[in-house]
Amino acid sequence: MRPLARWALVAVAAVALVTFPYWSAQWESTRFATTLLRDALILAIFALSLDLLVGRAGMPSLGHAAFFGAGGYAAGIASQRLGTDQLPVTLGAAAVVAALLALVIGVLVVRSEGIFFLMLTLALAQIVFAIAFQWTAVTGGSNGLSGVGRPMLATLDFSSPDLMYVLVSITFVAAALLVWGLARSPYGRALIGVRENERRMRALGYDTTRLRLSAFVVAGTIAGIAGALSAYSTRFVSAQDAGLGNSVRAFVTVLVGGAGTLAGPIAGSALVSFIERVVPSLLPVELRISEAILGLVFIAFVLFARQGMVGVGRSAWLRVRTR
Amino acid sequence: MSLELVFQQALNGLSFGALLFILASGLSLVFGMMDVVNLAHGAFYMLGAYVALSVVQVTGSFWIAMLAAPLALALVGLVVEPLLLRRLRGRHLDQVLLTIGVSLVIVDLIGQLWGREVRSLSAPPGLDGSVGLIGGVYPVYRLFVIAFGVVLAAAMAVVYRRTRIGMLIRAGVEDAEMLGALGIDTNRLFASTFATGAALAGLAGVIAAPVFGVQPGMDTDPGLLYSLVVVVVGGLGTLSGAVAGSLLIGPADTFGKVLFQDVALAVIFAIVALVLLLKPTGLLGRIRIAR
Amino acid sequence: MIEIRELRRAFGGVVALDGVSLTVAEGERRAVIGPNGAGKTTLINLLAGEIAPIGGAVRLAGRDVTRLRSWQRARLGLAHVYQRTELFSPLSARDNVALAVAARRGPYRVFRAPPRSEYADADAMLGRVGLAGREDVVVRALSHGERRQLELAVALAQSPRLLLLDEPTAGMSPVETARITELVAGLDRALTIVIVEHDMDVVFRLADRITVLHEGRVIAEGTAAEVRGDVRVHDVYLGKALTVA
Repeated sequence: MRPLARWALVAVAAVALVTFPYWSAQWESTRFATTLLRDALILAIFALSLDLLVGRAGMPSLGHAAFFGAGGYAAGIASQRLGTDQLPVTLGAAAVVAALLALVIGVLVVRSEGIFFLMLTLALAQIVFAIAFQWTAVTGGSNGLSGVGRPMLATLDFSSPDLMYVLVSITFVAAALLVWGLARSPYGRALIGVRENERRMRALGYDTTRLRLSAFVVAGTIAGIAGALSAYSTRFVSAQDAGLGNSVRAFVTVLVGGAGTLAGPIAGSALVSFIERVVPSLLPVELRISEAILGLVFIAFVLFARQGMVGVGRSAWLRVRTR
Repeated sequence: MSLELVFQQALNGLSFGALLFILASGLSLVFGMMDVVNLAHGAFYMLGAYVALSVVQVTGSFWIAMLAAPLALALVGLVVEPLLLRRLRGRHLDQVLLTIGVSLVIVDLIGQLWGREVRSLSAPPGLDGSVGLIGGVYPVYRLFVIAFGVVLAAAMAVVYRRTRIGMLIRAGVEDAEMLGALGIDTNRLFASTFATGAALAGLAGVIAAPVFGVQPGMDTDPGLLYSLVVVVVGGLGTLSGAVAGSLLIGPADTFGKVLFQDVALAVIFAIVALVLLLKPTGLLGRIRIAR
Repeated sequence: MIEIRELRRAFGGVVALDGVSLTVAEGERRAVIGPNGAGKTTLINLLAGEIAPIGGAVRLAGRDVTRLRSWQRARLGLAHVYQRTELFSPLSARDNVALAVAARRGPYRVFRAPPRSEYADADAMLGRVGLAGREDVVVRALSHGERRQLELAVALAQSPRLLLLDEPTAGMSPVETARITELVAGLDRALTIVIVEHDMDVVFRLADRITVLHEGRVIAEGTAAEVRGDVRVHDVYLGKALTVA
């Protein structure tokens, strides 16, 4: 497909995505699909940011939710303490706080690799969670932060369900473009180099520690923005947003979708959202085991389809083509 | 702070440290032998507590629960290792990911089977009183926890240093593949190591229950969070590392909560950060970083 | 160009280098030979900055680099070809070389695809080492000999002033060995080269001067003729006890 045609297709898809609530209104009056899609897109942004680390740079982080939560809290607290609901301020606060937290944690973890890196990110993020859970004065503690302000842009109020969706979907498109751009740039290629052979990269003159740190901070910032969107959507931030469960969720999303690809985290968020939100309505009400199902699905992928849905799809496509 | 308070908090810190040791030793053992960080360790801890709940309900005896729960967890470990982990032998990172899945399943099933309310488990009769100590009273059970931890550590040290099993473990921690080449059945060794780690987690769950309660979320707090912090700080893979880490984190956390209340965990964060910056392999550890 | 003074390095209790000093002039081609365990690879790794000495100093182009890490020395113009192949497995030959070409400009260029000139330079370099036509092939699909050629291409793409080659012909057939040898022989004379080798034909073809290591110490140094005639070198290679002259 010629590049121009491809771009046209992407543009059409993006427009369709952003305007979903409007053209689906006839058959979708309860707004269930819109809300589901909105949350899936937030997860997709979160997962895309994690994939920068896990899929590109080879840094398996299990503490990514710390930045998601930090972004949510920052947006909520900014709107309450600074007295303004303007998006640039609250979203900006989310990005800045998440970036700073990522810098602090990054400096501590970036010299380690593999399993040790995983453990450290997990432990440090858990500490962030515990602080959020206990620091009632600032974060609301175990009750969470309620009354998050409405996201406003000048006089435009994004808090209605349709407009909130539009905000989220536009941010998703922007995030996807950003990650896509990073991946194909010399920066993205350098991250792959660090993942594949750090020793060689250093021998070539790359400061790999700084490269990893920058990836960590960029990924954390995007995660923070996703967290802010989540805060705007539910008007609420809980400590669980920064908890291990959320970090695991993002990791599972990346892996079952396919790490290191653009479509992977997106496909993964579709599957995970389906399991978490649609499957429970298919099961009897007393059987609340969607997390267990997610766990089983995850185990299955780790054992049999490590490259995720996108990877499996690609191998199948190759096999068909070389037939 | 009065002297009685300090002394009481010191005892609290030590009992927490003893508990952390029982919990973290299993994690450290599995890592040392198999190069796998069992992220289901917190779930095992949680399962131990819930199993104890049911056993006490049925038999009325805490002591039976203290035997039954580790046994049950050992069985779980004996199922998980051959069924799942063994398929990924050599792929350490993927094995760790697998344990995440296991954790998700176990925690959710616990909620489904036992409910998601906060439960509690009382200390056994005989240990549920208080004793007079330095001007105040102190719960006997916590003293029991300290004593148990010390005895367990001593027992593990003896096994580690003076028995054939201990020698196998030490050799395995050093180089497990070598053992295979020497004719040792590594499948059985790994399965039993994993089962032992699970049993220790379950044991910790039972012993912790009268102090920390039995509720959703205990798999991460205190379970996984604290066992990870202890081994990161103390050093993975060694018994002395688990001891050192527990002795540091237990009192630090207790005093932190007393002095700083809401942001007590910032103290822990600071300790972890300091250790990472100065001695990344942990105070007494020998990390082999597996991919 | 290179000045090493009293370089010392031990691993655990084993002393790998015990006070090695040597000087390599700019544009010189120096071979480092010696029996297994003599410390040759340790010397190279110390020069490259991958490990740190416990004593002694290293100067490159007049600058004390003893404290500098590998990536800092690389930026000063040092390129290193490892004993065991160290490439980026899932990437194509072209991408491997392109990473080296791009290293000079730094990696923080985001939002644009890598410039075509990088790939053109990469392809040119691949042609020079004899890998024309194999640019798109993934490293995993290359033969051992081709990978060693690629290694050389990657190192040369750094436009180095100093090239360290650690057993570049290890595991190669005679044809491949000859090809690599001629490649290295044909390199720019301004490039300083230090090569560790076991294959004496390669050594005598390429080296201006030879340094002989044994048990972490320099036991002989000189031109090919001088070293060939040196009794101590003979003894060491034939396993006789070393008589201290």
